Amino acid sequence: MMRRTHPALSAWAWLVYAFLYLPIIVLVVFSFNDSRFGATWAGFTTKWYGVLFARADVREALAHTLEIALISTLVSTVLGTLVGLGLWRYTLRFRTALTGLLVLPIVVPDVVMGVSLLMFYSFVRQGLERAGWTFDNGFWTVLLAHVTFQISYVALTVRSRLAGYGPELEEAARDLGASGWESFRRVVLPLAMPGVLAGALLAFTLSLDDFVVTYFTSGSGFSTLPVLIYTNVKRGVTPDINALSALLVLVTVVAIVAANALLRPRRDA
Amino acid sequence: MKRAALLAGAGLLLLSGCYRVQKPAQAQPGAAAPVTRGDGKTLRVFIWSEYIDPDLVKVFEKANGVRVVLDTFESNEAMLAKLQGGGAQYDLAVPSNYVVQTMVRAGLLQPLDKSRLPNLKNIAPGFLNADYDPGNVYSVPYQYAATGLAYNRERYVPQDTWAEIFGADDRRSFVLLDDPREVIGAALKYLGFSANTTRVEELRAARDLLRRVVAKKGFQGFDGGPGTRNKLLAKTVDLGQIYVGDLLIATEEDENVQVLLPRQGTTISMDTLVVLKRSPNPALAHRFIDFILDAENGAQLSNYTYYATPNAAARPYLDDFLKDIPALNPPAAWLADGRLDFIGELPAGRPQRLYDRIWTELKSR
Repeated sequence: MMRRTHPALSAWAWLVYAFLYLPIIVLVVFSFNDSRFGATWAGFTTKWYGVLFARADVREALAHTLEIALISTLVSTVLGTLVGLGLWRYTLRFRTALTGLLVLPIVVPDVVMGVSLLMFYSFVRQGLERAGWTFDNGFWTVLLAHVTFQISYVALTVRSRLAGYGPELEEAARDLGASGWESFRRVVLPLAMPGVLAGALLAFTLSLDDFVVTYFTSGSGFSTLPVLIYTNVKRGVTPDINALSALLVLVTVVAIVAANALLRPRRDA
Repeated sequence: MKRAALLAGAGLLLLSGCYRVQKPAQAQPGAAAPVTRGDGKTLRVFIWSEYIDPDLVKVFEKANGVRVVLDTFESNEAMLAKLQGGGAQYDLAVPSNYVVQTMVRAGLLQPLDKSRLPNLKNIAPGFLNADYDPGNVYSVPYQYAATGLAYNRERYVPQDTWAEIFGADDRRSFVLLDDPREVIGAALKYLGFSANTTRVEELRAARDLLRRVVAKKGFQGFDGGPGTRNKLLAKTVDLGQIYVGDLLIATEEDENVQVLLPRQGTTISMDTLVVLKRSPNPALAHRFIDFILDAENGAQLSNYTYYATPNAAARPYLDDFLKDIPALNPPAAWLADGRLDFIGELPAGRPQRLYDRIWTELKSR
C-alpha cells in the first residue's frame, strides 16, 4: 500500500524541478530565437544550427572534448577501481595518509590544481629540453590532468561501495574452490560494479565540463568546449552556442532514455 | 556482465588503434629545435573572444602560407596566469594596457623590432608613447574601448553627464559595470579627479559617493557588457555603464540603443599587441602586427569588432555608420586635456588596497 505524498511536499518537489530545469528549457527555446543577442524574442529560426555546423573551431573543440572525456574516463576508471579495491582489501600502514591524498584533488581548488600542473609540466619540459627532447602542452597534458583528478572520485566511490563487506567474502569464495582471479571476477567485481559505473559516469561528467584545469594545461591550439564557451563571456555568448548546448542536452536525454530501456530487467514470458 | 566487458575492451582497442597519433614532438637528441616549433609556419595568438575578423585571419594565412591558431582568454588575469605558468608557446598576446608593464617585469615580453613595423606610422600620435609603455618598446595599440553611458532612446534619452547616475536624482534605473576600476574610475571622473588617483582623500570622496549611488532605488546591480547590452535591448533599464564597443554591436539589431561619453570624461583601456619572449616565430609575429597596422586591415578590424581603432590611416575605410558615432571617435582634445584616462596600473600597497576595499564594500552590500 503506497502512501500518498502530502500535497505541499509534491508542490515543493515540482518547484525544485522547475528551478533545475527551467534554465535549460529557456536555453533550448532561445537557440531558435532570431536575434543575435537574445534579449527579446524576435521570431523562430533554425539558422543558429546552420551557423554552428559551419564553425570549424566548435567542431574541433567538440572532438577534443569527447576524445579527452572518453579516454580519460577509461583510464581513470581502471586505475581508480584498482586503488579503491586496494584500499578496501589491504590493511596498509599508511592507509589514512593514502586516503587523505586521494581526497586532496577533490578539495583542492581547481585553480590551484591547474596552475600547479602547468608549472609541473614546464619544469619537466625544461628538464627534457636539456636532453634535446621536448613536448608541447596539448592533448596528452590535458588527458593526464583529467585522469589525475578523476582517479580520486572513482577510487572513493568504489571503496564506499565495498565498505560494508569484509575479507570473509573472498575467503568464502576461496573455500568454495575459486582461484584468486575467479573470486575477484565472480564475487568482488560484480559487487563493486555499481560503484565502478557510478565512478566512471562521474569521471566522464567531470571531464566533460572541466574548464579551469583544462584551460591551464591545454597549451595552445587545443581548446575544449568549456574553454571555448567560457572564454566567450567577455563579449557575450553567441546563440550558436545555445544551439550547441541544446544538442548536448538532447544527446544526454536520448542516452539516458536508451540506457533505461536497455537496462530494464526483461520479464520472462 | 560479459557483454559489457567485451564492449569496453572493444572500445579501448578502437580508441588506441584508431586514435590519430599526434605529430611526434620530440627531436633527435642534440638536433635543432623540433618541428612543431619555430618553423615559421604556425602563428599562435592569445586573444579575447570575438576580437578579430576571421576573414582577416584567412587573408593573412593565404598571403603568407601559414596557419594562424587563435586561443581565447576571458580576462587579463587568466591570460597572465597561463603565460606565467610557462605552458603555452604563443607568439602574440593581446593584453590590456594596464598589464603590459606587469608582463615586462615578469620577463614575458620581447622588445619589438620597429624596423619590421613600417605601418606603425599609421597610429594616431596621441596613442603612441603612452605612459603604459613609453616609446612603445614592447607593445603597439590594437583596439581600444572607452567606457560610456548607454541608453535606449525609446525609453530614455540622457544628458551627456555622469550626473545621470551619480547625481542626487533617483528617478532612473541603471546598471554599473562589474569592474572595480571602471566603477571607481567613473565616480572619480564625475568628481573631477583622475581615474588613477592614489590620493586617499579623493578615493574617500569616491567611496562616499558610490555608497550613496548603490543605495539608490534605481540601482539595478553590476553586470558585464553582454548583460547590460541585453537589458538595454529589452528596455528593462534606463542607463547602463558599458564599453562602447560592447554596446555598438547591438545597433545591428536595434538602432535605438545608443551610447555617449559623459562630458566629465571617462576611462579608456587600450588592448595592445605584444610579442612574447619565448615566441617560436618572432619574425612571423612582427609580420602579423604590421599586417594589423595596415590602414584597410585596421578598419576591417573595427568594422567587425565595433571597437575603436587607434589607427588614424584607417579612418577613411571605416563603415559610414561607425564614422558618425562620437563615442567611438572621442575628440583628440580629450586625450590631451586629461578627460580620457587610460586605466593604469596601481602602485602596490596602500592605493591598491583602498581600491580593493571600496569595491569589496560595494559588492557585499
